[in-house]
Amino acid sequence: MPLINLPAFAADLLADFERLGTLRVDTPVIQPAEPFLDMAGEDLRRRIFMTESETGKSLCLRPEFTIPVCLRHIETATGTPQRYSYLGEIFRQRREGANEFYQAGIEDLGETDVAGADARAISDAITILAARLPGRHLKVTLGDQSVFEAVVAACGLPAGWQKRLIHAFGNSAQIDALLTRISSPQPVAGLSPQIEALLASGDDATLIAHLDETMEATGYSTNASRSPKEIAARLKEKRALEKTALDGRTLGLLREFLSLSIPLAEAPAALFAFAAKSGLALDGALSRFDARVAALGNAGVDPGLLTYRAAFGRPLDYYTGLVFEIVIDGSSAVLAGGGRFDRLMTLLGARERIPAVGFALWLDRIEQALAPRDREAAR
Amino acid sequence: MTITIALPSKGRMKDDASAIFEKAGMKIVAVGNERSYRGRVEGLDDVEIAFLSASEISREIGNGSIDFGVTGEDLIREGLAEADARVEFCARLGFGHADVVVAVPEIWLDVDTMADLGDVAADFRARHGRRLAIATKYWRLTQQFFSAKHGIQLYRIVESLGATEGAPASGSADIIVDITSTGSTLKANHLKILSDGIILKSEACLVRARKAEHEGDALVARIIEAVNGALA
Repeated sequence: MPLINLPAFAADLLADFERLGTLRVDTPVIQPAEPFLDMAGEDLRRRIFMTESETGKSLCLRPEFTIPVCLRHIETATGTPQRYSYLGEIFRQRREGANEFYQAGIEDLGETDVAGADARAISDAITILAARLPGRHLKVTLGDQSVFEAVVAACGLPAGWQKRLIHAFGNSAQIDALLTRISSPQPVAGLSPQIEALLASGDDATLIAHLDETMEATGYSTNASRSPKEIAARLKEKRALEKTALDGRTLGLLREFLSLSIPLAEAPAALFAFAAKSGLALDGALSRFDARVAALGNAGVDPGLLTYRAAFGRPLDYYTGLVFEIVIDGSSAVLAGGGRFDRLMTLLGARERIPAVGFALWLDRIEQALAPRDREAAR
Repeated sequence: MTITIALPSKGRMKDDASAIFEKAGMKIVAVGNERSYRGRVEGLDDVEIAFLSASEISREIGNGSIDFGVTGEDLIREGLAEADARVEFCARLGFGHADVVVAVPEIWLDVDTMADLGDVAADFRARHGRRLAIATKYWRLTQQFFSAKHGIQLYRIVESLGATEGAPASGSADIIVDITSTGSTLKANHLKILSDGIILKSEACLVRARKAEHEGDALVARIIEAVNGALA
């Protein structure tokens, strides 16, 4: 479908994608809404355009490409590794700006050389942007959730806290609120004397049986939602933690880690120094981090462009490691964003785990970033 | 300029609203017979009364086809995006009290706060192969409260148009967001309100559509003043 509102540089982008050895795919504009809401959460609902089929199925206008490309990969049972590229319109409800705009990008599925694939995604994004915006100083910010996961694990925090912290990673307000909350004890109140006695007895089986009976008696199914066992386990965990508070030293370490923002080239040494000073065993995560930095060097990426920000992440549960964003120095408009989403393929129904990394380019913002004379020349 | 005021068309809300207007010196009389959907105010020829359902009032005030309305704050905030920019809450009328709340099964002994619920939601998919399901007719309020205020993203809303409080027991949802005035229906369905789970303390309000032509209009000012005077 030839579209006359395509950015003038679209043909160059497609040539780049082909030169990079990717397979160009297209996906229908009208998509089932379920997978998007399921992956990104209900909040997405007010930001996408939804409609219903005649039979009542929820449909939406494609709000992004990653999920459709991954679903297509699963449906067509294509082997891996496979690198896909796409270029097309996406649709989102925005208070300001257009509701339909072009996005292009690459999804790299099934490459087991994680460091190499991460570096290639960043390098490809930089190469493509640099070709469109010659002479502009690009700035790349990187984050890595797996390093944060390693830090909270090495701090020896209770499993429940680790989960909460990892879940909030990438949302600084939420992390702050959470750190404040767990810094003081959280008493478990409002339990009946009977439950208190059962908890105190340590007799799990009787506690679970009691919950089971109560549910039966009050007309609640014991397997449709949370089970008696699950409720009892979490109640016990809360009770065990109620007198525990995050100690000042650990809080200090977490805050110190999250405030790290340094040139990527210096990040491995800084992280090793942080681990050594704090006595945290981060070896696995740090060597993977180091391998990525080395792979970026091998890919010929200018280290001067790269900054590591320890608190940078995306609060979506399928992002697992690297995230990155590219802007023009001094501007806040994100021209490219990407990351590793090793959990997405299985969540979408793939039978085996397929590692995945990719990025998307915001073509409208790239067009706006072109100097007026470049835009003239391109016409 | 004629000012249109929409009042609830039936039930206690209608009687309570009429009583306040009468106390404010604006006695409402039906045009035609008792069951007419139009009325007027004695002594105020430039005011028209429209009797509408409470949810219609919220919609009509949002698109500015009426000037004032008496309806529940919950319906305004649920029905309109950026409600405060589009309507002015002129007076809280002291009737039609109801709270919009997050309620979970009583048997969830480990869940007392939104933070607890956030934990449960984060884990839900891994344990049950689906997202935590919330039955509600308050889509907007639920999304704002869960997503914006508490950073909880991992849940799905199951639309419920009636008997929402029965959804957890019937298995069509895990928890609910619903309106309650006494809490007795929740209790009867073995549900409890989270300690920080009150989304909105709603009551009937006099609301005004923010329209440019209201600026400096004596009648508009007089209506707001009279209703507030009747409440004092």
